[in-house]
Amino acid sequence: MAKRRNFPLTALLIILVGALTVGPVLMLIIGSFSEGIGTVGKFTLEKYKSAYSDPTLMKTLSNTLIFTLGTASFSTILGALLAYLNVRTNMPFKGLFRILPIVPMMIPHVLFTAAWITLLNPTNGMFNVFLQNLFGLAKAPFNIYSLGGMVFLEGMLDLPVTYLVMSPAMHSFDTMLEEASRVSGASNAHTLRKITLPILKPSLLATFTLAIIRSLAAFAVPSMVGMPGRIHVLTTHVYRIISVGWSPDYGKAAAIGLIVLAAAITLVYFYRHLISEGSQYVTVTGKGYRPTIIELGRARYPVFAFSGLFFAFLVIIPLATLVYMSFLPYSMVPSARAFSMMNLRNWKTVLSNLIILRAFKNSAFLAVFGATITILLSIFVAYVIVKIKSKSSAFIESLSFLSFSFPGMIIGVGFMWFLVRTPLYATIWGLLVAYAGTYLPYGVRPLRSAFMQIDEELEESARVFGASFLRALRDIVIPLLAPGVISAWILTACMFIRELSVSVVLSRPGTEVLTVEIMKLANDGLWGQVAALGLIMIALSTSLVIAANLLRVPLSHAES
Amino acid sequence: MQGTVSVTNLTKTFVSKDETVTAVDNVTMSTPPNKVLTLLGPSGCGKTTLLRCIAGLESPNSGEISIGGEVVWSGAKGVSLPPERRNIGMVFQSYAIWPHMTVFGNVAYPLEVRKVPKAKIEKKVKDILKLVQLSGFENRSATRLSGGQQQRVALARALVAEPDVILFDEPLSNLDAKLRESTRKELRLFLSDLSTSAIYVTHDQVEALTISDDVAIMRDGYIVERGTPQHIYLRSNNPFVVDFIGRANFLEAVIKSYEDENHAVVSCALGNIICSAPAGLAGGTSVTIYTRPESFEIVPSSSPAVENEFKGTVGNVLFAGEAHEVELKVDGVDVLAKMKLQTPLKRGDQVRLQIGREWCRALDPEKEEA
Repeated sequence: MAKRRNFPLTALLIILVGALTVGPVLMLIIGSFSEGIGTVGKFTLEKYKSAYSDPTLMKTLSNTLIFTLGTASFSTILGALLAYLNVRTNMPFKGLFRILPIVPMMIPHVLFTAAWITLLNPTNGMFNVFLQNLFGLAKAPFNIYSLGGMVFLEGMLDLPVTYLVMSPAMHSFDTMLEEASRVSGASNAHTLRKITLPILKPSLLATFTLAIIRSLAAFAVPSMVGMPGRIHVLTTHVYRIISVGWSPDYGKAAAIGLIVLAAAITLVYFYRHLISEGSQYVTVTGKGYRPTIIELGRARYPVFAFSGLFFAFLVIIPLATLVYMSFLPYSMVPSARAFSMMNLRNWKTVLSNLIILRAFKNSAFLAVFGATITILLSIFVAYVIVKIKSKSSAFIESLSFLSFSFPGMIIGVGFMWFLVRTPLYATIWGLLVAYAGTYLPYGVRPLRSAFMQIDEELEESARVFGASFLRALRDIVIPLLAPGVISAWILTACMFIRELSVSVVLSRPGTEVLTVEIMKLANDGLWGQVAALGLIMIALSTSLVIAANLLRVPLSHAES
Repeated sequence: MQGTVSVTNLTKTFVSKDETVTAVDNVTMSTPPNKVLTLLGPSGCGKTTLLRCIAGLESPNSGEISIGGEVVWSGAKGVSLPPERRNIGMVFQSYAIWPHMTVFGNVAYPLEVRKVPKAKIEKKVKDILKLVQLSGFENRSATRLSGGQQQRVALARALVAEPDVILFDEPLSNLDAKLRESTRKELRLFLSDLSTSAIYVTHDQVEALTISDDVAIMRDGYIVERGTPQHIYLRSNNPFVVDFIGRANFLEAVIKSYEDENHAVVSCALGNIICSAPAGLAGGTSVTIYTRPESFEIVPSSSPAVENEFKGTVGNVLFAGEAHEVELKVDGVDVLAKMKLQTPLKRGDQVRLQIGREWCRALDPEKEEA
């Protein structure tokens, strides 16, 4: 009975989710064999020939390799270290670690990157100038427009995620395994090398893979830091094909994009294999004894200072820089003169710019309306996955997680080929469809676990005690589901406010969004306006996060 | 006190949430060489903490610990050897078998870190695996073993480097009841054959009684009583120990007179009976006497009167598998007795019962309030 009634729902969802996830991929493949965006159908290999004979491609590939591996190593080591310090030592002020996972929800990547550029660029970066004055240096000591700078910034941006993935591994680590090594006669260092690291290896490898996937898809840092320094990676390479020069070549972009997509899908497959139960070490755990907390003794405060440094890098320094810059006419080291020159001009300019005001309207619309539609779709998908266990619901599950591996930039090109054939092209609705398709997994995941938490017996007992199906839905299921839905909605809204890589491909005059406008202001070097506009954005996302806190919904960060 | 492990005035406190908990409270004890000492007590009595202090996995606040004659920790002398320099072996509650190594790798590890030559390692590991009946499992991944097998790998690893003492931290608590019983027997045989010194921590009294040469009962961080398993079970005068080990009937009684130095006539619900009692209590002293449920015997109705005989009325008879648990009413007082299944008893029967003078004991009134 139930099955038959739900069949149309399942079929409808397969079509919808399929169109949103497989659709752009198919169009990307078709597009790569097509002449131009208007002439789908004429088969040609020209795009591949020109894409892969491009002399700059080799350099781009090697940059990508260094950038992704460097970022992944940096963020994995740091994330593991911070997780270790939080879980296994008596470091003071551990409350700090609770804000780490929600930092990326509040500070968009573009703004974090912009703040660090104003500090560390080689011409007038404030920290550089400060050091030059202090030590009488002729040359700026730091150049953010370098591979090292990119690795530092992207590594910091991935830190909350690597920390989140490593934390449970540290929690579930049975410390008796280390103690057994110590009483067997091995020193601390030997134990670390022979026991601790080998046992953590699967988790470390999974974290490392995830960091590679993220840095491969990264766009804010490569475009704002890499491009001025002429260090191109695959995402910016694709971006240049569609944005530089007079005729954007979407076919060539698709031809390159497909290998990036293939690499990302392979990595995600590998990642899911790594986190599956079979490849993690499962051990018997003793009951009762609390895990040994390492007494840091006199090292407590130095260790805190060490971890505090990264919180400063991630939150305090960028925020302070943005606030300071937003009141200045041009960037200068803090001084009496600088403070006397402070005014509200940047704020006024930004808020009287008609394009920016339109971007505000568009971003707000996408956040509120886009999140609502995405979450509505996610509720149905999660319901079908959890409650109707059939072959087609398993199919929907894999469909809805497909776009988890999609680099936004590449799938943006796919959507371009897709939307150009529909009346949605160059409308705000087009952006909305692309957002929903790309970020569907982030909505489905928390809702799936929300549904799984509602034990069927809770619903059944309501039926037994006389409630109708709808009554049980209203009295039992919906109230229990509500916190999960609100939490997923806020997460999605925050994600849509800071969305950059899909928008940068699809945004057109009339459908401007805030992040893309910030990037344009940054390209023009209008850092004061970037700062003012950015602070307004941060205030928007932060108020959403605070609202979540006031409503007491758990913000499980879904990006891992 | 001399022994393989000597602990002198050891104190260990924990601070949690502004509250100081004294887990080990000024404990002094030593283990006889080549014997098994068990630390037995309810959870939170400090037994595991004491064991971990000996292993070097916890740092005491004050006192001294020596192993094999060498001081390994001393507050006064400022000595603190890390675990790896104490020459100990340990079997953990979770076995702590390293999941990324084979059985051979796990067992060979203590020898490898001691830089024993390779050929010798192979021989010793082979021998010890034979001893624990795991020959042929050398290359098996350590996690692909049953609970009992993992337990034996843990034992082999603890034994292989011939440590001064082996520490056991509730090693059987992760096994199911049936396996626990057989492993307990095996372990007892190993330990007596090998004649190594061992300290064994458990909260399971049957385990403690079967495995050890010596039992120390712990409570609130200190040792309440120490003795052989027989002494602890049958001849303790300490109310906490009697209550903790096994089941007991406690009866109010008054000392009337002494039969000899260790036996007194008391008056209680069972009538005037002779029981073991601490020497030198004055006539008229109120005491508590206890009996174990399994120590009553039925006196046939045809038999002449015997020592310590009393009459009871059978109440509920519960079938408990190995025996009947019989609730008796004796002069208005409830007494629990365990009777052989062959004994035909039913509710309402009047029975003659007897308790041997060695099987009922008066508690030391000085320890009663504890």
